[in-house]
Amino acid sequence: MPEITLGDLSLGNCVLSERVTHLRDVYFESMPEICGERPRLITRFSKNHGFFNGQPISILNKAKMYRRVLEEREAIVSHTRGVGRDMRPFPFEDRQLFAGSTTSKLKGVPLYPEFLALTLWPELWTMSRRESNPFYITEDDVKTLNFDVFPHWLENNILELGRKRYYEQNLQKYGRKKYDPEIKLMQRLVFFLASKPECISHTIPDFSKAVKLGLRAVIDEAREKEATAPDPARKEFYAAVREVLEGIIGYSRNLAAEAERLASLENDSGRKQELLDIAVVHRQVPEFPARSFREALTTVWICWTAVHLENPNIGLSLGRLDQILYDNYRRDIDQGRLTVADAIELICCLWLKIGDHVPAVPEASEQLFGGTGSNQAITLGGVDRDGNDAVNDLTYVMLRATELMKLRDPNLNARYYSGVNSQEYLRRLCEVNLETGATPALHNDRAVIKALTSKGETMEQARDYGVIGCVEPGSNGRFYGHTAAILLNLTSVLELALFNGRHRHTGMDLLISKETGDPRTFTSFEQFIGALEEQIRWIADHSTDLNNFFGKIHQDFYPTPILSSLFEGPMEKGRDLIDGGAAVNSSAATISGLADVADSLSAIEKVVFDDKVVSFEELLEALERNFEGYEALQALLINPEKTPKYGNEDPKADANVRRLVETLDRVFGEKENYRGGKYRVGYWTMTNHAGFGRLMQAMPNGRKARENFTSGITPVSGVTPSLTKALNSVALQPASCLASGVALNLKYTPEQDREKMLENFADTVEGYFDDDGGRSDGGMEIQFNIVTHKTLVDAVGNPDPKMLVRVSGYTAYFKDLNPQMQKEIIDRTEYLLSTGKMVTFEPFPLPTKR
Amino acid sequence: MASRIRRTLLNIIPSISERAGQWALQRFSGGLVGQLGDRLTDKFLEFLLYGMDLGFCLSRDYRRNIKDFRGSYVFRTANQSVAASVTFANEDMQVQTKPVEDWDCRITFENAAALRRFLFSGNQDILNSLLANEVEVEGNLNYIYRFGFLAKDLGRRLGVV
Repeated sequence: MPEITLGDLSLGNCVLSERVTHLRDVYFESMPEICGERPRLITRFSKNHGFFNGQPISILNKAKMYRRVLEEREAIVSHTRGVGRDMRPFPFEDRQLFAGSTTSKLKGVPLYPEFLALTLWPELWTMSRRESNPFYITEDDVKTLNFDVFPHWLENNILELGRKRYYEQNLQKYGRKKYDPEIKLMQRLVFFLASKPECISHTIPDFSKAVKLGLRAVIDEAREKEATAPDPARKEFYAAVREVLEGIIGYSRNLAAEAERLASLENDSGRKQELLDIAVVHRQVPEFPARSFREALTTVWICWTAVHLENPNIGLSLGRLDQILYDNYRRDIDQGRLTVADAIELICCLWLKIGDHVPAVPEASEQLFGGTGSNQAITLGGVDRDGNDAVNDLTYVMLRATELMKLRDPNLNARYYSGVNSQEYLRRLCEVNLETGATPALHNDRAVIKALTSKGETMEQARDYGVIGCVEPGSNGRFYGHTAAILLNLTSVLELALFNGRHRHTGMDLLISKETGDPRTFTSFEQFIGALEEQIRWIADHSTDLNNFFGKIHQDFYPTPILSSLFEGPMEKGRDLIDGGAAVNSSAATISGLADVADSLSAIEKVVFDDKVVSFEELLEALERNFEGYEALQALLINPEKTPKYGNEDPKADANVRRLVETLDRVFGEKENYRGGKYRVGYWTMTNHAGFGRLMQAMPNGRKARENFTSGITPVSGVTPSLTKALNSVALQPASCLASGVALNLKYTPEQDREKMLENFADTVEGYFDDDGGRSDGGMEIQFNIVTHKTLVDAVGNPDPKMLVRVSGYTAYFKDLNPQMQKEIIDRTEYLLSTGKMVTFEPFPLPTKR
Repeated sequence: MASRIRRTLLNIIPSISERAGQWALQRFSGGLVGQLGDRLTDKFLEFLLYGMDLGFCLSRDYRRNIKDFRGSYVFRTANQSVAASVTFANEDMQVQTKPVEDWDCRITFENAAALRRFLFSGNQDILNSLLANEVEVEGNLNYIYRFGFLAKDLGRRLGVV
């Protein structure tokens, strides 16, 4: 257990250095720019090496391509320009302490034509001017993409390769040309979003070998294993590992050479020395073991850029950096080679580098994913593999850097094990939340470890979990779990049960799933529950079949040698991650609309079957009319004192939530994925609950058409007046059913008496995480916005570009969110911690269509 | 659609000057500009395809967009009251006023307004069109992205995008 040697855990004397202040200002000033470098190099290699012939691509060929690209890509030590929000380039002096970049731009948008980059094709000329989150693009890049890149991928991206194979398969199976029921279901968007055509990504690499041993040692290990491998497939795997690691080393050497070149031209002696220092670092790492804290950070950073060359920048996460880097930090501090202030400056510089790219979201997808960063989660604190307190000085250094920077990326997550981690640590986590208003998210170690072990992870693996993407837990560096494989709209499943396999959005004359009975004929609530469970099974069958099908397309066309070489499992098995090489495998569905569906069930149970206030027919009629003419019924349905609502410790309401999470866990948990792992279920929704909300009609819980759904595992906004009861209801849900993570979103009013607020804050978290002497698991995760309703309302009209908010999993800049999502955050239940009571306000108006 | 003779004649213009071709394109595309403005009618698809065809004839630069491109599209309304097939091959575009059987991408749209929103909207209406079931795309989705670029690029040349 590491000794805490810091006197002041808040490190209040450490402030942003002049260098970091300047870099941070430039970061906020600059606009994301489309980068044509990766697609150009990848396309050229693919074209020249026959990758576009529709045949599977071997891992070795992929590895050769990545090596070539790593060695050929521009080695950027210092950027010389950015592009401002006014779309004008501006020069600046880049005195970053880290060389290299994810793209060739200061803030780049990397493109992956192997996946969905072609969705940007129609807007190449207009994306700089679009309303939501515009991307700058040069005319040269438009032409390169239009003439030299995109045409080659028309028949060759994962979506099309999959669709074509699907057609062929169905032609053989059903004898019907162009028959694609599952793909059509996916394209309708309202049932579930399937992520495989976009990426897998969501995972945490293992940086520990690279830091401690260096990549040369891994190359040597691969060579030895290759020599003794029993079959050609494994020999090829190890050869591929050697190729990509040589590529990463080559890229770092190119950076060293560029730094030396720039130093030779530099007149400023201070900058000259900085450049020479950069060169020394890059001559050492990542090829050889890191000798210092800075070299360890550089190893992580360079490997990180390489991982992004291969894997789309969506949800790739860095894991437990305070654990992996601690030895290097401690050694430098003890030997007097590093001060805490130096360490904070280095961390701040790294945080900015990590945020040097944003995902390529097409304008059309802004409604579902608007405002998202790359969701690069970092995990701090918690316990180590033996169950001991893992919080160390570096944990606090990273917290201070986060507090000072207030950035969207990285997405900071803190683990807390009550009784093992200190109260001072918990208090500090709450304090950083107060300061930043939105980060870090807090995870209950006891509940998470229980959830992961229930899915077959060993106790050691589970204790060493890191957070992926938004909030998903997985064993650090050894869990390949595509946590966002299926984004399921549970309210659509309810709709199918309500309308006998049909959906109002796709038309009542079209049978979408299976007929499970007309609810108007049902005589008991259990009968309706039976229909709903059948619809859940139907959607689980189709969504997992489709995910597994596209998984096989990935296996044929998208092996991942870079990620596999930085992971626990593939090197031991001689097998790529995509083929099941990881130590722990799974896929997951994450659910939107849990609270809305649970409350709808409670409403049906109470109003239709128990009290018989209305018949099912009348209820359906009211829904059809969006409660027009049924205002009294809607008032009854939304009133938590008359109709049970999740989040009020109402036994029936909470039982309906539990019934849903248990059913979903059981149904998905029976499914096996294409890598030999089982499916897990999570409850975090990014901005999908707002996107799905605008598609859906009125629901039995009194929600009217187009209104937002509730985020994550959070109870419906505005119906849970007591904070304690809300937390207790959520904490009742069994952790074993929530293994792919949950997001509980709370909003607290900032209070004058900061000390008192901090005390209440920490007590509330402690209470929520408490397992009640083993009678429950305790809440699994919690995240906050510390902001008033009024501040958010004001920010709609007068946005502060730096205003950070917690969405449902990740953090975002409020101004980047679409209007529907802004409304959702504004309308979230807000509590005054000093009273534990809900603050009342009028709901924000639903945005009108622009 | 432009006859072979007319195409040959039109092709002469950009060989003299790309700027002249651009001028001619703008001069002869008033109908499409109107359709993209406030004079939308059921003939939108016809005007659009005519404008594209004209663009390929009059602008070498615009024609470069379909170099080496082979692909066929069917556009139709659900009730088949409007239907057209477009085939790209040999740096040329052929239009038929009936749906062909062998297509790479088939777009079924509710009406002209829905199709215009789908191809030209300046904000988030592409998703809205799909979500509202105003437009359904079957086959290779990448083809619609390419067609979307061709349409927007024409709009840019006409100064309306």
